Amino acid sequence: MTSETGFDADRYKRFPTRGPRPDGELEELERIWCKPKGWQWISAINNNYVGVYYVGAAMLFFVLAGLLAVLMRTQLALPMQGILAQETYNQFFTVHGTMMMFLFAVPAVEALGVLLLPQMLGARDLPFPRLSAYAFWAYLIGGLAFFCSLFFGLAPNGGWFMYPPLTSMTYSPGINADFWLVGIGFIEISAIAGAIEIIVGVLRNRAPGMSLDKMPMFAWAMLIFAVMIIIAFPSVILATTLMELERALDWPFFDPVRGGDPMLWQHLFWFFGHPEVYIIFLPAAGATSTIIPAIARTPLVGYRLVVMAMMATGFISFGVWAHHMFATGMPTISTSYFSAASMAVSVPAGVQVFAWIATLAAGKMRFNTPGLFAVGGLVTFVMGGLTGVMVAMVPFDWQAHDSYFIVAHLHYVLIGGMVFPFFAAIYYWLPMTSSRPLSERMGKWVFWLMFTGVHITFLPMHLTGLMGMPRRVYTYLPDRGWELPNLISTAGAVLTAIAVLLWIIDMARNFRPFGNREAGNVFDGPGLEWLPTGLYSVRSVPVITSLYPLWEQKGLSRDVEAGRYFLPNSATGRRETIVTSTLNAEPQYLQRMPVPSPWPIWAAVFTAAAFLLLTIQAYWPSLIAGVLGIYCVFNWCWTLDRPVDQLTADIGAGIRVPTYRAGPSSHGWWAMVLTLVVGGMVLSLAAFSYVFLWSRNPGEWTPPPPLASLPWILAPYAAAALLSWGACRILRLARPRSGLIATVLLVGASGLVGLGWVLEWEAWRGIGTDPTAHAQGAMVYAFLAWQGFFAFIATVMGLYASLRWVAGLIAPDRPTTYDLIALFVVYTAGQGAFAALLVHLFPGG
Amino acid sequence: MSTGSPEGTAGWPPPVLDPAGPFAEPVTTVSWVLFAMAGAVLTLVLVALGVALFGPRRWRKRLGGARLIWIGGLAFPVLVLSALLVYGLGLTSHLADDPQPGEMRVRVTGEMWWWRVAYLDDRGREVLQDANEVHIPVGRPVVFELDAADVIHSFWVPRLGGKKDMIPGRRNYLRLQADLPGSYGGQCAEYCGGPHALMGLVVVAHAPGEFDAWRARQAAPAPTAALITRGSEVFRRSGCGACHTVRGTDFNGLAGPDLSHVGSRRTLGAGILPNNQGTLGGWISDSQAIKPGNRMPAYPVLTGEDLRAVSAWLDSLE
Amino acid sequence: MANRLDTRASLSAVPAMGLACAVIGLAGCADKADQPRSLAGADPARGLVVIKRAGCASCHAVPGVRWPAGATAASLDGFGDRPLISGRLPNQPDTLVRFIRDAPSLDPQTAMPPMPVTEAEARHVAAYLYTLR
Repeated sequence: MTSETGFDADRYKRFPTRGPRPDGELEELERIWCKPKGWQWISAINNNYVGVYYVGAAMLFFVLAGLLAVLMRTQLALPMQGILAQETYNQFFTVHGTMMMFLFAVPAVEALGVLLLPQMLGARDLPFPRLSAYAFWAYLIGGLAFFCSLFFGLAPNGGWFMYPPLTSMTYSPGINADFWLVGIGFIEISAIAGAIEIIVGVLRNRAPGMSLDKMPMFAWAMLIFAVMIIIAFPSVILATTLMELERALDWPFFDPVRGGDPMLWQHLFWFFGHPEVYIIFLPAAGATSTIIPAIARTPLVGYRLVVMAMMATGFISFGVWAHHMFATGMPTISTSYFSAASMAVSVPAGVQVFAWIATLAAGKMRFNTPGLFAVGGLVTFVMGGLTGVMVAMVPFDWQAHDSYFIVAHLHYVLIGGMVFPFFAAIYYWLPMTSSRPLSERMGKWVFWLMFTGVHITFLPMHLTGLMGMPRRVYTYLPDRGWELPNLISTAGAVLTAIAVLLWIIDMARNFRPFGNREAGNVFDGPGLEWLPTGLYSVRSVPVITSLYPLWEQKGLSRDVEAGRYFLPNSATGRRETIVTSTLNAEPQYLQRMPVPSPWPIWAAVFTAAAFLLLTIQAYWPSLIAGVLGIYCVFNWCWTLDRPVDQLTADIGAGIRVPTYRAGPSSHGWWAMVLTLVVGGMVLSLAAFSYVFLWSRNPGEWTPPPPLASLPWILAPYAAAALLSWGACRILRLARPRSGLIATVLLVGASGLVGLGWVLEWEAWRGIGTDPTAHAQGAMVYAFLAWQGFFAFIATVMGLYASLRWVAGLIAPDRPTTYDLIALFVVYTAGQGAFAALLVHLFPGG
Repeated sequence: MSTGSPEGTAGWPPPVLDPAGPFAEPVTTVSWVLFAMAGAVLTLVLVALGVALFGPRRWRKRLGGARLIWIGGLAFPVLVLSALLVYGLGLTSHLADDPQPGEMRVRVTGEMWWWRVAYLDDRGREVLQDANEVHIPVGRPVVFELDAADVIHSFWVPRLGGKKDMIPGRRNYLRLQADLPGSYGGQCAEYCGGPHALMGLVVVAHAPGEFDAWRARQAAPAPTAALITRGSEVFRRSGCGACHTVRGTDFNGLAGPDLSHVGSRRTLGAGILPNNQGTLGGWISDSQAIKPGNRMPAYPVLTGEDLRAVSAWLDSLE
Repeated sequence: MANRLDTRASLSAVPAMGLACAVIGLAGCADKADQPRSLAGADPARGLVVIKRAGCASCHAVPGVRWPAGATAASLDGFGDRPLISGRLPNQPDTLVRFIRDAPSLDPQTAMPPMPVTEAEARHVAAYLYTLR
């Protein structure tokens, strides 16, 4: 195997080291990684804490959304009941769907990732623990506020899919719809933050030797999951932004009278919404692919096939969105394509299912609770997949679409594909964080009740749909034959609720986290997460030579515990983890990890406050909260990117690596690039929206400002990009004044970006474009708004850069802060130039 | 058993599996093919799973390799899906032909939360308006022009064919045909807020001669003999004409359903109530108790005699 | 069938007494303490079907009809125990049957229109209403 980084793989042979480790190493690790004392527990950022909170919050939202489901089923048990009023029911089903998708499913799997990945990868923690903490707290506060809107009758009532024009100001004048947009805003923030964290973590924080082909299945799944989030979520970011702009400022993106089109929303929403299903499914499938081999005590059959299947799922899932729109009157050619793609996406799912069956056949299944949930999930998922193939058939979908058949289908897929595997994961991995495992006896009850309940609930719904019952109805007329299946479904829902209740009792009795010892590997799993750990994660970071290290690398636990591998101590006396190369996981440098800090939490609180205050139209308080939020982010970043006194450190057995890295191979650079990919995706989708709206009414579009204005807009952008690049080069020259010059250049660049933006705005204002008059103007101003947001952040970053320079925190050998700001400014300039070129040249005069 | 609910909506046999016309029939066939496919594949998976979990060691050994994935997870699904796809695509193109000249056209506009129905002549002009009920001749394809007045709705009469969305700013076409006379129930299938659950409609298929007679009756203005009554006076005084049209009078409101022949309709409140003097009275007096959230305000102020008079007058508009 | 509907109707009225009274009323044997309200050949179960078909509930709340529950006219809950129809006519079977078919002929001020039901159907309806106690 050739080396990726020039690291000599022979050096791995030095491990495990021999001889006793010096005294006090372990104590030092414990001191460095200790949890914050007393009331400061809240500022904990270790994944062992935040991961547990995160999973807990997701489960809380699962229970709350499930409660709504039980109430809805009670209303539907008999025809024309008045248990829930019409408006209440409409709010309930909207909140149920929204919470299950956005506040449970996505965060739950992301939470599992945050909790499990560091241990599975043999890292001390994921690379950006403060970001994880921020994502978690923003999610918790935003989610709770969203749920509480129900108590005030202010919850959204337009369905989780929020189709305009029903959700437009005309038909939803209240702030209910805005609560949806805000709730989703939070999950956008936390999901993307989490995704960046996971991508960089999985690709750069693996234990040495854990090349991609030795990476645990769950890590693969989380990697693909995170990449999909980066690609899919921008679509919902754009959609929600456009809708909020339409609602708040009357810019008619979706209003057909003024050149908009409600179908634009459907395209954007489902371009996110369908991959979303696989975003939820893949990590759960990854968990199943991890649990089934452990339960059957045999390696997963077809590891490579399953990895490829997951990649294929991710890829194809971006080509199936319009199968939610077969009844909208799309041309036959489009429906045919989407029909074919929707069927194709079931093939990789089939590969995974048969890989699981083959694994069970190769080993010997142990019928414990995680095993039951995994197999129960498999069966349920297959059933949902088969009805999925049915509705991929266009003519059948014309009948089944928006009927209870779909309700049955989607619950089979999501419960079989995500909920059961998630419960399997909880039962399987809980002993990792709790001093007691959950009760096996009770767990079996939970499984069988839930399995039976789910099937009793949803199996009859296939029939109810074929009997003509539409979805999203708060009641139904008597004497249509729908009474019996509905009553059965309700009975099933109650059974499911009892199962969840039993599980809650089990949790209350046995879940004891944050203790000094854990129940440990009760199911005899093969992954690194079952190595003995403390708050510092593993005592020493092992060299990985196998896909199932605990089964195949004899004595691994003992050697790791004894500190005979990498990083048996703290090499620099601070929190740190090893950054390794992407393909072969060769050690590259030592990353200094942040310490606990309350600032990310305060930043989350003020972000939440700013959004919520905006929703209730308290503009000034919202602005103040926003400014405070930025202040908190400054403080959060202030202590990062600081010099370390040693330039290199011994990470074990005399192997020395640098303690700092800037440029394209540093973890910060990766995170910034991923963030900008998100921005670029939003931009591309906005360009799509622009062309789409033009194609609807080309005759109504008016000519852009005179071409002569274009160079004046592009010039500042080009100059900004040049200055940013120059700033980084000059800083690296390490001349006496290079810090000052670089700072001036960077601040100047961010100012130029603002100038380009102002000139572009002037150009359109000059020809009297009114964003409320027509969708064309609305789109132009939407580009301006998006660019303005980036220009504002660039300005804030410029301010931060100057503050850092004033404080003397910018040095030629610590250029990362400036590198990242420069990257952002260059992107913003490019984005502004692209948008300007598009709206000035297409469709042109 | 005919009871309170509208005609043509009996749940059994399931309407999707009980087609009544050539645009529903192939879908039913597809459904059965798909059920068979799903049943067979599920059985296969369950058998494989059963063997993997409980089978004798020798059988398990055969299953426990990558070969199972190649055959069961890859080759088999690709085969089955390709066959289905070819079958489905052929059907789709046949079911979704564009409207041809000379076909009968009915324009149905989804409104919150009822259906405006307009019958069009050969040149696409409206010849008469109605609401919540579509009358068609049997044995002849009818093109439905689907519009939306406010938000998205979806037109669905399961025994006659699949559904099609009604989208503001667009016009969709759906071709349906009933082979036998009778009533076929339907309901809005796209969530449209408020009482979406109570937005039903009925398609009534007539034998050809009967259809022409019905159409001639409807095309006439409202029966004039009934005009100068106390009921029409109450109707005028209460301002009902601001929203409702009664052709042949100066009541010409457009917001609500055309009432020129309301007495001849089978249902009231968009397919949810039987239609007679009594239910008309109840609807006028307090429609909000019957269909909460609908756009018609309650008129509890009418005296008993006035209420009776106006409902009697409306009932007489056949 | 009749028994099932009876039970449901009376359960929603006065649970304890209802069942017994309904059974007595059905059998046609008048209790001394009760007014004689025999409707020969009338079937309360068919009455309920007629009530649903005619849509009586769009004005009256009718026990046994889940929806609608109109508030335009008086609830018919406990109708069997009422001494008067519409507050002014004696609650006797013949009067009730006539009132159901053509209320304005008995009470010109009533809001209740003549209902499109036959004599026989009106008798079934009356029989059902008398089970409501």
